[in-house]
Formats: sequence, structure tokens, C-alpha cells
Amino acid sequence: MTTSDNKPKVDRSLYAWHAVLICCLCLFLLPAFLVVMAALREGGSLVSAEIIPSTMTLKNFSRLLNETPFWRWMLNTLVVSTISTVIAVAVTTLAGYAFSRFRFRGRKNGLLFMILLQMFPAAMSMVAIFRLLQSLGPMTGGLIGLNSLFGLSLVYIGAGIPFNSWIIKGYVDALPIELEESAYLDGATPWQTFSQVVFPLMGPVLATVAVFNFIAPYSDFVFPSVLLFSEDQYTLAIGMQGFITGDFSANWSLFAASAVLGSLPILVVFFSLQRFLVQGLTAGAVKG
Amino acid sequence: MAGVILSGVHKIYQGTEPLPRKWWEFWKPSGKPSEVHVVKGADLEIKDGEFLVLVGPSGCGKSTTLRMVAGLEEVTDGEIRIGEKVVNDVSPKDRDIAMVFQSYALYPHMTVAENMSFGLKLRKYPVEDIEARVKEAAALLDIGHLLERRPKELSGGQRQRVAMGRAIVRRPQVFLMDEPLSNLDAKLRVQMRAELQRLHHKLGVTTIYVTHDQTEAMTLGDRIVIMHQGHIQQCDSPLMLYEQPANLFVAGFIGSPGMNFLEADAKDGLAHHPLFTMELPVKARNLTGKITLGIRPQHLLMGSLEEGEVKLPATLEVVEPLGSENFFFCKLDEGAGQVTVRTDAATKRKVGDAILLRIRPDHVHIFDSNGEAVCHAKGEATAE
Repeated sequence: MTTSDNKPKVDRSLYAWHAVLICCLCLFLLPAFLVVMAALREGGSLVSAEIIPSTMTLKNFSRLLNETPFWRWMLNTLVVSTISTVIAVAVTTLAGYAFSRFRFRGRKNGLLFMILLQMFPAAMSMVAIFRLLQSLGPMTGGLIGLNSLFGLSLVYIGAGIPFNSWIIKGYVDALPIELEESAYLDGATPWQTFSQVVFPLMGPVLATVAVFNFIAPYSDFVFPSVLLFSEDQYTLAIGMQGFITGDFSANWSLFAASAVLGSLPILVVFFSLQRFLVQGLTAGAVKG
Repeated sequence: MAGVILSGVHKIYQGTEPLPRKWWEFWKPSGKPSEVHVVKGADLEIKDGEFLVLVGPSGCGKSTTLRMVAGLEEVTDGEIRIGEKVVNDVSPKDRDIAMVFQSYALYPHMTVAENMSFGLKLRKYPVEDIEARVKEAAALLDIGHLLERRPKELSGGQRQRVAMGRAIVRRPQVFLMDEPLSNLDAKLRVQMRAELQRLHHKLGVTTIYVTHDQTEAMTLGDRIVIMHQGHIQQCDSPLMLYEQPANLFVAGFIGSPGMNFLEADAKDGLAHHPLFTMELPVKARNLTGKITLGIRPQHLLMGSLEEGEVKLPATLEVVEPLGSENFFFCKLDEGAGQVTVRTDAATKRKVGDAILLRIRPDHVHIFDSNGEAVCHAKGEATAE
């Protein structure tokens, strides 16, 4: 054997794969980069000869914060996101647990029906939801009605229940049933078993459901554009749309600036829940 | 502490048997109701302070029986008593029992101390009492230094001890253990087996222990219950099970390597095997038709034939040297089956060697055509 044989062989195809992956990464990051650059550019044009502007300015951010109801829209979006996240997590946690652990009449059909519901695009139910909120508005003093943030939150909660219940059910299915049996023998009631043994182990799946629910009102345009009428009730997506559909001008820089600022809460939520998303809390529960 | 009595206990699971249908025939039912009879009339009396082992192959109903005693499965028919009380409709938490699971089932988000005190806190014991009990159990199991750790920071053996500790702190009337040593490696299992014996002698709590490992059963149990296909085959002391198995299943299950079985025809007080004819003992003289002769591996002898013995010519196929002894796996001549022979370590033979085995008639267990024992080997019997 020669000494050259002893050198660790470098797989050249690895370099090629790395190059491909770096290209993919650039493709994913490019839109974010372009948006940030657009937000720092002077003038409202989207198209420019230079990708990186020669003079960068924070004027767009200043204008956004001082001359538009950006804070209002942001607050509205956060309100809708928070309400829908809290209620959806509470409701679907219990539903998913019940579907996983209890045997009752209609369980199997209920699960199938939820998959069926999930197959239809939410927009198909638009007319029904509009009519429903229109009818509920006068009955609830406008709390659950058209042009109501709470009404919009309920729409997101309802739309997310099938999918969220399924992922929570799947997670609970994988938790060892012996933990609950052990708790019963220790003297726990079903509620104590759920709240003190199962719920603390559900961190990863609750974080996932929470992130999904929190993001939904940010990324959705269709529902708020139909259900919200007045500017002071707008969510960020609707408000931002006004920057580029103005009668006389389309201010893309302002749009980009609001996109950059608007993404900050999502980043905060994601990074604060990241620990749970990657953590396997059940480690050590059973053999191994 | 209390005894446990099972009277005619049955467990039937309701299931669905799939019916054949084409994929488009969705209007037709996909299945019909069916029943699986898992435990078929179990009658047992477990005395106060006794260590009873339920043993049998997978699916024999031993774990289901234990879970019915725990209250984790409903009893379809029959009655379970713990102490004086019928507990069929009593919830698990009110049965005053503690269970150790195969997977330990430690709460992963709690420390060892929290795991052990969880049941006591739920029952609203005073804090000082809880602390004292946890410390006492931890000292007994030598896990005092682990109390602030979480289960994922413990080794398999330590987790097993914590699971035991969680059961002990409750000071229950009955301990239920569902294959608690199965997840440990062989060395640790032997160590924990001794530990369990020590604990049982110290605490003296009635224990029902489920295992599929006959060595565990033989070494731990005051009495062993052997189950097969939902039926209790025999309930006796370890030695009696070995020496006087009630039927072919028990005879084959207890003992390692298992008992050798040779099929023969009984006629006129003689057993006719293709390789030999043997006189049947008095108790089996009136048997006719197919019978089975059972011989333990250590009773298949080698060397020169002595008076009254029958010979069994065979060819050596596999040798398993274990250091202290050898196992010879032999093929009988004329395709009359296979047998396992246990010899001392000094007996050397090569694979392919012709071997003349010999059997003493009083070393033979005899089973009738239904597999029920008719008479046992005198060499082993202690109470004929």
C-alpha cells in the first residue's frame, strides 16, 4: 500500500452536491434579500438597474411608521394571530387527545370527516362564512360578525381545527400509554392525567400548532379582504396591499418596508418556540 | 397486605373481522363484529405475602390477567377479590395496588423524587410524610443520589429501580409487575432478580409477576402459573412444575433445553417406538393408541447399555459447548425425530458421529393422546 492510499478519499460528488445546495439556498434567500434592499431604496419603484442601491435610506420605514396606520394593522394582525393561536391550541389539544385516547361512537367517522373537510380549499366556504358572520353580527352585538377581528379569528380557528387535531392526535398516539396507566394507578383522575402527565409532554406538537396558527393570519389575504371593511380593522396583508394598488401610484418600497417590519413578530415567535420544535421531551420515558 | 382471588375470570375483546369487498363497494359493510377470547375462566388464589409468577408464551393472556387485577382492563365475566373486597367495578386508584411496567413508565418531565412522590401528592399525604417515604424507599433501593435527576439521565437498571421505588413508596396491598426485567441486559437482569427476591423477603407484600422468561419464573416464584391460549395449564411450585408437569405444554415449557418428546404407540402394556419397544409403568399399562414419551435432556444417557434400558441410535448434528456442560443436538435414526442431550463438559464428540443413546424407563414421563400426563419420571418425582 502506498502512502497516498492512506489519505482519506474525498468524494468529489460531495462538492457538486454542496454547490447545488448553496445555489438552492441562494434561490431561497434571494427574495428576502430583494425585499430588504427594496425597503432601503429611495423612491417607490420596484425595478431598478442596481440590485443593491447606491444610497440606502430608512426613509421608507420612517414614512411607514409615521404616515400610515401600520401600527394599527400590525396590532390587528397580532390580535387575530394571538386569539386564534390560543383558542386553536386549547381546543385542538383536547380534541386530538380525545380522538387518540378515548373510544366513543363516531370517533372513526369524525376523523375521516375531518380529513374530508381538509381537502376542500378554505375559499370554497367563503360565501357560507360571509353569510354566517352576517347573521351572527346583530345577535352578538358585532363581536362575532363582519368587520370584526374576533369573527375573523374564529374563521381561522375553524379552518385549522381538522389539520391541528390530526397532528396532535398523531403525536399523542406515539406517547406511551403506560404513562397514563401509571398515573391512573397512582391515583390521578383523567383530567389530572391529562394536565399533569400528558400535557407537559406535548411541548413539541403544541409549538408546531401554535406556529402554524400564528402565521396563518399573516399569510392570508382572501378572508380578511372579504370580511373586513374599514381601514382601522385591516390586518397587515390588506393594509399592505393598499400601498401597491393606489389609484395613482404603487409604492413598492413602502410595501417592502412593511413586509420587513411585519415579519419580525413571526421571527420572534419562531425563535422562542424553536427549542420545543426540536426537543424530544419523551426521551427517557421508556426503555432505552 | 392482602391476598388476591380470581374466580372464573374471562376476558373477551370485541373486534371487527374484515369482510371481502371490492374497492368501489363502499355501501357494503367492511367488517363484521367478532370476539377474541383472551382469558378463559381463570381460577387462582394468591395467598397474602405470596410471590406468584404468571408465565407463558406471547398472547397466552398473562398480561391481560394482570391488567384485569390492576383495573386497567374490564373483567368480562367472573370475579376478582383483593383482600375481602370484590374489585371488578373499583377504579384502579382505589384498589390499593402498585404496578411496575415493562417500559418503567417514568414521567419524563419529573425528577426521580417527583416520580416517586407523584402518587402520594395526588392522595394528599402530608409533605413530611412524602419526603420520609421517598427517602426510605430510595435508601432501600440505593437510589438516594439520583433523586434530583430526570429519567433520561438514568441507565436502564437505575430506571428500573426508580420504577420499583415508585411502587414501594405507596406501601400498597399488592405489587403487580409486568415483565419488569425484560429491557435489561442479561447480567443486570440476574442482579435485579436477586434484588427483587431481597425486596420481597423484606417487604413481604403479595406480588403478581408476569414474565415469559422461565428462569425468572423458576427463581422468583413461590408458585408459578403457566398459561397457554387463555387457559391456566398448571399452578404449582417451581420444582413440582419441573418434576410433575400436568401436560405436554407444561413439560415442554419448563426446563431449558426443553423436554424431548418421542411419539409411540401403546399396546398391551408396551410402548412401540420405531427404534425401540419399552414396557410401560403400571399406571400407564392400560393406555392404547398414540402416546408421547417425555425425556429430559440430562436423562438421555451415553455409554454402555445397562439392564432394563432401551437404546436410541442417533447421529450428532450440532454441538453447543457451554463450558460447564455440552448440549448435543442429535437426529434419530430412521427419521424418528430429533433430541437434545445434556452431557458433562468432558464428553467430547464430533459432528456427524453416530451416538448410541440409552433411556432408563423410570426417567420417562408418559402423556396420553390428549397430551395429559399419565405418569411421571420416578427419577424426578418427589411426591408420587
